[in-house]
Amino acid sequence: MPVFRTAFNGYAVKFSPFVETRLAVATAQNFGIIGNGRQHVLELTPNGIIEVCAFDSADGLYDCTWSEANENLVVSASGDGSVKIWDTALPPVANPIRSLEEHAREVYSVDWNLVRKDCFLSGSWDDTIRLWTIDRPQSMRLFKEHTYCIYAAVWNPRHADVFASASGDCTVRVWDVREPNATIIIPAHEHEILSCDWNKYNDCMLVTGAVDKLIKVWDIRTYRTPMTVLEGHTYAIRRVKFSPHQESLIASCSYDMTTCMWDYRAPEDALLARYDHHTEFAVGIDISVLVEGLLASTGWDETVYVWQHGMDPRAS
Amino acid sequence: MAASGSVPPPKPWERVGSSSGPSPFRPPSTGSTSNVVESSGVAKIGESSDTERNVPLANRSTIGRPMPARPWEQGSYGGNYGGYGSMTNYNSGYGSTTNYNSGYGSGLYGSNNLYGGMGGGYGAMSGSYGGGLYGNNMYRGGYGGSNAFGGGMYNNGMGGPMGGYGMGPGGPYDNGNGDPNDPFGGPPSAPSFWQSMLRVMHGVVTFFGRISILVDQNTQAFHFFMTALLQLFDRTGVLYGELARFVLRLLGIRTKPRGPSRPGPKAIGGQGTPENYYIEEPKEAAGGWENVWEG
Repeated sequence: MPVFRTAFNGYAVKFSPFVETRLAVATAQNFGIIGNGRQHVLELTPNGIIEVCAFDSADGLYDCTWSEANENLVVSASGDGSVKIWDTALPPVANPIRSLEEHAREVYSVDWNLVRKDCFLSGSWDDTIRLWTIDRPQSMRLFKEHTYCIYAAVWNPRHADVFASASGDCTVRVWDVREPNATIIIPAHEHEILSCDWNKYNDCMLVTGAVDKLIKVWDIRTYRTPMTVLEGHTYAIRRVKFSPHQESLIASCSYDMTTCMWDYRAPEDALLARYDHHTEFAVGIDISVLVEGLLASTGWDETVYVWQHGMDPRAS
Repeated sequence: MAASGSVPPPKPWERVGSSSGPSPFRPPSTGSTSNVVESSGVAKIGESSDTERNVPLANRSTIGRPMPARPWEQGSYGGNYGGYGSMTNYNSGYGSTTNYNSGYGSGLYGSNNLYGGMGGGYGAMSGSYGGGLYGNNMYRGGYGGSNAFGGGMYNNGMGGPMGGYGMGPGGPYDNGNGDPNDPFGGPPSAPSFWQSMLRVMHGVVTFFGRISILVDQNTQAFHFFMTALLQLFDRTGVLYGELARFVLRLLGIRTKPRGPSRPGPKAIGGQGTPENYYIEEPKEAAGGWENVWEG
């Protein structure tokens, strides 16, 4: 399967919800510590991965998400506190088509609503989450309850008004955009929580990944104890993702430089596969919605891999 | 930025129903997000208190552990002096119930100085991974990534004095209307005498922390400098000794060889112990070295 080399260190990779061969990759220079960023849009071809277009930004890009309403729009989370919206149909000089600048610190997470497709979220190190709609230049709502950086804010894929946020304050909070405060607060880990995701087939199930190297699966109705705890990574877990195709399948990537596939229903041998193709921190992973079993990952080794689950990512 | 009108293919999970059972959520609202949020009366909640960052809603929060320093607050010195400074700060802010109740919402906790003080141990640990760019806390070293390696050690170090600050609902800090943690309440009260005092103490500790770093590092630098200088003198002495010997030899003056003095030929006569016989080929033996072991 093909590999693509980025100029900067990879931070996030996302499959397009419209085109099965298209990917967005957010990268940041100098490991995201200081420097520029670049938003790549890539295309899978029989001859490998080629770049369709790329947009430069003044600060590192830490996350990206595709619009669910327009196949050409990509949203990036920038280190300068802005949220950039790119139109891939326009040349780089005409981009970004919008730069939303309301966060006071680095934006670390963006996620487009999968159900009501006119809005997206941004989570920032200023401890807040903002709700943006495509018809307004200002944020629609501010969610401010976490006491430390937000590392992920993810929409519920089955409920238009509900999302979850993972924070360095060691809690995951579940929000309803119609409520003034978080509706559920889960003190999910002993250490910072870097990622969370909803189960696509069970709207009450969350998975969280944290600095304590654990992946926990939660039923938010009985949040005092996790349903399952998955152990196997040897360093912090950067991203977790429920499969769009199989209810019990979870993908994760970690600072131990590996990406793993898990079946949370088999706690004894939950680890289905471990891929060690990255030679630096693996910080971005995604599972294709349109092609079952197709995975993509990126990391600080400036590579993007796309491969079929069960295959060797390095095999060409 | 209007929608193009295109619709992505249906998601795999949209073809099947949810298997979760009774939902804890209110039914989804219809209409656009703007209308839903505005009709709920929650638009722009919290915007008015934007300037008061880090004000925790302690009466709702379920967490009871100290927050690590923010990634951008972790200075490059954090690893060295922040550790003990943080203990002082934190204990001073939290240690006594009096201070906590009176000062929590009034800037003591929210003050970046105090809060940032506890970054030391945390940032330092992140530096332990590789030591290079990953652990460099000058800018954003502590963000998710690097924090990863500091997490465990951070809590080990801080766990002791931090324990027991339960902040759960209905806890000791749930003060009802008078709760100073409520960001929507009145303005914060002026700092009390103890708060001012502790703030001053914090400044003093930080100052001496910096001074001690400077003294320590300068002492170390001076030590290395002196060591190098002495080594240089030593080597120079050897060099000049050798040069002098060479010149003397050129002039035809025999100098005493360096190193352990060899016994003269007289020593073989019986004065020297066998150990003093220098290694020489036994002249008498016909085969020279070949037969030395056979005799």
